Amino acid sequence: MPALAPGRWVAVALFGIVALVPAGVRDAYLLDSVILILLWGALSAAWNVAGGYAGQVSLGHAAFFGIGAYSAALMTARFQQSPWLGLMLGVALSIVAGGVIGYLSNRLRGPYFALSTIAFSQVLLIVASRWRGFTAGSEGIPVPFRPGFWTLGLGHVAWVYLALGVAVLYYGVAIWLETSRVGYQLAGVREDEDAAEALGIASRRLKVYAVTLSAAMTSVVGTFWAQYVGFVDPFYVFSIDLSVRFALNTIIGGIGTGLGPFLGSLLITSLETYLRATFSGMKTGFAGIYLVIYGTALILVVRFVPEGLTGLAARLRVRSSRAHA
Amino acid sequence: MDPARRLGPAQIDVVAQLGVSTVLLGGIYALVSVGLTLIFGIMRVVNFAHGEFLMLGMYVAFWAYTLLALDPYVVLFVSIPLFFGIGVLTYVLVMRGVIHASHNVQIFTTVGLSTALQNAALVAWTGDYRTVRPWHSAVVIRALGMAFNLSQVVAFAIAVALTLVLFAFMKWTHTGRVMRATAQDHDAATLMGIDTDKVYRLTFAIGIACVGAAGVLVSPLYAAYPTAGLQFVLLAYVVVVLGGLGDMLGAMLGSLIVAAVEVVGSYFFGVAWKEVFYFVLFIAVLVLRPAGLFGQRGAETLGV
Repeated sequence: MPALAPGRWVAVALFGIVALVPAGVRDAYLLDSVILILLWGALSAAWNVAGGYAGQVSLGHAAFFGIGAYSAALMTARFQQSPWLGLMLGVALSIVAGGVIGYLSNRLRGPYFALSTIAFSQVLLIVASRWRGFTAGSEGIPVPFRPGFWTLGLGHVAWVYLALGVAVLYYGVAIWLETSRVGYQLAGVREDEDAAEALGIASRRLKVYAVTLSAAMTSVVGTFWAQYVGFVDPFYVFSIDLSVRFALNTIIGGIGTGLGPFLGSLLITSLETYLRATFSGMKTGFAGIYLVIYGTALILVVRFVPEGLTGLAARLRVRSSRAHA
Repeated sequence: MDPARRLGPAQIDVVAQLGVSTVLLGGIYALVSVGLTLIFGIMRVVNFAHGEFLMLGMYVAFWAYTLLALDPYVVLFVSIPLFFGIGVLTYVLVMRGVIHASHNVQIFTTVGLSTALQNAALVAWTGDYRTVRPWHSAVVIRALGMAFNLSQVVAFAIAVALTLVLFAFMKWTHTGRVMRATAQDHDAATLMGIDTDKVYRLTFAIGIACVGAAGVLVSPLYAAYPTAGLQFVLLAYVVVVLGGLGDMLGAMLGSLIVAAVEVVGSYFFGVAWKEVFYFVLFIAVLVLRPAGLFGQRGAETLGV
């Protein structure tokens, strides 16, 4: 059996620890943090499929998150159906929308693609916040809590395992993208599309698949997030800040790596929880200080450590192995 | 509606009012967009933090009016050199290091700058809506059956004047020619002895000075709050893509088109839906003619 790469061991250890957390911890606050870290990590992992592995940087992924959140919230609040049906509807809608965005990615590169994704999420924001008759408009939708698995009215421990399941699954997708034939083809397209085309890789189709998969994955977590948090606010779920957040976690952790999005989420979500708790009492609006730190961190990371935490770890490992040799 | 009324004088007035409103709004949008397109055209960087400098301009006008009772048009004389300086500083501290980096690095650098500035404003000045109400914002001009706010007319006039000055600067001065040469071919410009770093610094500073001026000019018309720049910058993207990224004349025409879409859309469907129209227009242009209505074809697939 081939030895696991160091990153995989870290992932196994992290997910293993999370699996054991509910056995020892009953503190709702801590469990809540764990759930949010896993959900944010899964969202960033979903963004990473398009932004990292396929090189299609989207600043509008909140659109798919919002589609998932709204599908489930409307399904439960308006039609008294199971949120799982909403999840499936959200995935179906996101596949269609993701296909359209993926098609755009074939015509537009770099900043043009990012701009088109922003426009797309803004259109959904306007529709969701203005279509009062159906979406309840800018007031948002409270998601009713009905206990049970089928209605996703779960306790904290069950949520930890559900979020962990999604996180492990998404990590698995990333590993598949790193090791499979399709993954290598995608890397080829990302690095040099013309060369990949010359080798007979259907680059256009691959990019559409990657963006669509990424959209569907984002939508699933959007549904879980809405059901867990219990409220859907259009100005939050479709916001550019949210789209930036997916990217931020991934870039800080390590773009185009399996572990990166989860490491980034661990760091950023913990930092946010800590700073919120520290500064929220001081002055209204002061909670915004953590976003000033994020913005600055983003500028510094892309400039000085563009490969993120995982890349930094690899760099240090190389240096120490050289020192030992 | 009976045909006699459809062509009656009231309807002609409506058309005239909508037309003039479009031009007034378009002039302001042009000043917001022209800095964005200048920075893009010469530096090949989409400045995702452009709206935040507009927001800062609005706050400068607000505080000058509130604390010193200065009229926004007086503040304009101070704000142009002030934002020029802020532009130089931002270039040196943030942009210079990523000017030759990949698109993704540039995108996230300016996105990070946008997040940081927006929330710095939130921390410093809270999320309250701040309005500037100088005497001229209450004066209504009536002419030929149309009515306009004096602030809007003056903002339009100054915006157009500034845009034309910039246009003339780019076209007829030596420095403008140097900047255009750098935009056309960075390497060749370097070989001709042009200090491209200096050109980029100047470009970024001029772009920020324009949008800062725009922020001061719109302060009597729109409230200032930390995310106030977002709506303007989103439409500036539409304008700039419509006109062809980097094309200044295209940006002016694009501003008029976006303003027309907004004015006519609001008139027929209500103000609430106005943004939908220009975003749909935006996506349609990106899909059908991504190089812009007047731009060179193929620019978008080169990734610039």
